[in-house]
Amino acid sequence: MSGPGATGGVVLRVRGVSKAFGAVQALRDVNVDCCAGEVHALVGENGSGKSTLLGVASGAVAPDQGTVEIGGCQLRRHLPAEARRLGLGIAYQDFSHLLELSVAENLYLAAPSQSRPAYGRMGAWAKTVLGQFNLDDIAASAPAGSLSLAQRQLLEVAKALLTRPKVLLLDEPTTALGPEAVEQLHALVLAQARAGVGVVYVSHRLPEVLAVANRVTVLRDGVSQGTFEAASVAEEQLVALMIGRSLQLAFPERGLRGSQQEVLLAVSGLRGERFGPVDMCVHKGEIVGIAGAEGNGQLQFLRALAGLEQAAGSVTCAGAKVDTRSPFGAMRAGVVLLSGDRKREALFPVLSVRANTTVQVLRQLARFGVVGRGRELRAMEELVGRLRVRMGSAEQPVQSLSGGNQQKVSLARSLLRGDVKVILAEEPTQGVDVASRFDIYQVLRAKAQEGLGVIVKSSDPLELAGLCDRVLVMSRGRTVQEIPAHELGERRIVEAIVGSRAVGTAAVGAAPGRPA
Amino acid sequence: MKRGWLPPGLMAVLIVALGAYTAARQPAFLSADNLNSLLLEAMPLALVSLGQASALLVGGFDVSVAALMTMCVVTASFTMTPTTTGLALVPGALALVGVGLATGAFNATLIWVFRMPSIIATLGALSILQGASLVFRAYPAGPINSAVVGAMTAGAGFVPVAFIGTVVLAIAADLWLYRTRPGLALRAVGLDGTSSRRLGISAGRAVFLAFIVCSLMASIGGFYLAAEVQIGSPIIGNQALESIAAAVLGGASLAGGKGSFIGTLLAALFLTEVDNVLPLFQQPTEYADMTIGVLILLALVLYQAPELLARSRAAWQAARAKATWRAARPAGQD
Repeated sequence: MSGPGATGGVVLRVRGVSKAFGAVQALRDVNVDCCAGEVHALVGENGSGKSTLLGVASGAVAPDQGTVEIGGCQLRRHLPAEARRLGLGIAYQDFSHLLELSVAENLYLAAPSQSRPAYGRMGAWAKTVLGQFNLDDIAASAPAGSLSLAQRQLLEVAKALLTRPKVLLLDEPTTALGPEAVEQLHALVLAQARAGVGVVYVSHRLPEVLAVANRVTVLRDGVSQGTFEAASVAEEQLVALMIGRSLQLAFPERGLRGSQQEVLLAVSGLRGERFGPVDMCVHKGEIVGIAGAEGNGQLQFLRALAGLEQAAGSVTCAGAKVDTRSPFGAMRAGVVLLSGDRKREALFPVLSVRANTTVQVLRQLARFGVVGRGRELRAMEELVGRLRVRMGSAEQPVQSLSGGNQQKVSLARSLLRGDVKVILAEEPTQGVDVASRFDIYQVLRAKAQEGLGVIVKSSDPLELAGLCDRVLVMSRGRTVQEIPAHELGERRIVEAIVGSRAVGTAAVGAAPGRPA
Repeated sequence: MKRGWLPPGLMAVLIVALGAYTAARQPAFLSADNLNSLLLEAMPLALVSLGQASALLVGGFDVSVAALMTMCVVTASFTMTPTTTGLALVPGALALVGVGLATGAFNATLIWVFRMPSIIATLGALSILQGASLVFRAYPAGPINSAVVGAMTAGAGFVPVAFIGTVVLAIAADLWLYRTRPGLALRAVGLDGTSSRRLGISAGRAVFLAFIVCSLMASIGGFYLAAEVQIGSPIIGNQALESIAAAVLGGASLAGGKGSFIGTLLAALFLTEVDNVLPLFQQPTEYADMTIGVLILLALVLYQAPELLARSRAAWQAARAKATWRAARPAGQD
């Protein structure tokens, strides 16, 4: 199936756009055109620059170089309001709803002044609008915060269309949608395209997006890999363009774990607001990766295991039940989270390296309630040396260290607790330099060989392929595939994420050695 | 928006209840004279609280209002002296309004352009205005034109005309806030800055509007404070915290996006009533502060009751779900 054939003039023209955030070059000289009546897919891995490109096109991000034209007019002031005025509608991946206001009020705020009724007729008007978009199951008077994620996503698209845009940007519009709702959305998108709207459709789900797109542009590392006719390009070709980053990374040897098949962490039927039910297990000595496109519940799943996210279901660690209602319960069971948000959740930025390392074990280091500085330093010295934390002194504020060394400190703190059985690592090498990455991989592998279990949630398929013994791929909050060690590779993971080798939603991970 | 009526409703009930209780024991309370002086006494706080409510709506607050009111009293003692008459009073009055507008623009610039937290920005304005007042009047001096005072406090029966005007203003402001699109947009900015920006609403405009209105209302409150003290006192204004209390009792949230001008006006009236009633019972006014403190805490618990109930209900349901799940699980898996 392909989209409508005839296409008109260019409604969105992105020319030579570059954008850097600090040292990271998010976009480099990107050109994209979207014509009236066309569905233009934008695909790429996590972190390939899709979101930044949408931000630039919609006026939320000012590019360092390059220009954006909407409906033939150049976007001069980089403001969302300006892009809207020129005829751009956007459905944000994380929405633009005011959760405390009603659905009707949200629609009213999104509508341009020409199509807005008098304030008093808002309720009736909102009902008609919801009817137009086949959203009759949403009550206009309900607070937006009471809607399900799927409803919020469809409402977001409806809001973008209310502005009668010349060009419509959709950022991962199907993350929370089931197959039927996806069909419904696609029918809507195709109808808009037929009516002459240019649609830019960002998605990581290749089969879905290829079903409606006329053309596809592939991004990798912030660089466009070219634009192709959707009808004449195979999924495998697109995957090949998406993967293959230039950065060379070293990973520690996996080693043999043949005989160690004892289950350490068993998760069954765990479900939270944005994921589940999930069944999986981690064996002793194993590193299990969690892959998926951002926003598919991986993060929430990991945080639920650490007691930071509300969830129902059962988690056992080394045979004992884990109380996941609070981080305290998880920690007592030996499950510790290495948070990806180092500044806010893992470290006390202004405190010293010493204080950050020992803060969880002060009771063991204290005698009669007083912590001896010497004991403290001895406790951290060996670990800090093994992790190769590069620092001037132990009294240096931890925020003055590089990202990699900060991550090592937060890892050292977890390891200083003698009772750790499972490490949950969330994006362990985000913002970490290449040299430190290897140190972190090595420590995680060494700990696994000592008999711990490790779960690594990462948005980088290359990292998962190199580090893990097996990788679970999550989509829409569920594990959809399990990739065993002998199949692991960046390409295999990306294929699983983009769904070109989807195998349905069979329960995986719980099969081998489930506790009886 | 049924729940929006809880704060104004509660304030109205409290005003009537306290009034009835007092009138039953002290008939003097219901005398036209006492009611007139009660309403006049409420004017400065009522006006400044309406302004404070608008600052709270966009998620900020303004602690400089009391110092601004003092500055207005001091200004009035120069520009509205007993010797100024007729049209010469007009620029004198505009001077007060000008001080208000300038302070509002100053605060809004610090908050929006320089991205300062509103408490820091307005704390700066507070110190500057306090110092300036003392520079112009080191001690209370300079009588204020009594003709102006008379005109401002004129009444229809025992109700001051200005009070009626304030009621009309509060009703109009609430209608604007809850029955027009700009009002909705202002609340949206207070509720969620990111989402409202994405919808193309100008948060900057909302912040400027809110803080300029806040200072403007404080300077008009300054007129009534001047009418009350009738002399250029550099240490008179103390309504900063009370105005925040009134706005919160009236339904405003410190997180922004919520509030009611009618509720705020009623709350200001109630706070003044508490102040007014205690002397009638020969109670020291210190108790007024303590009463007000306790009332604020009780009112906030009451306003949040629906959320608290919902939260405990959700926790209960989660516990039930867990129990059901446990019961349905095949045996021997623990």
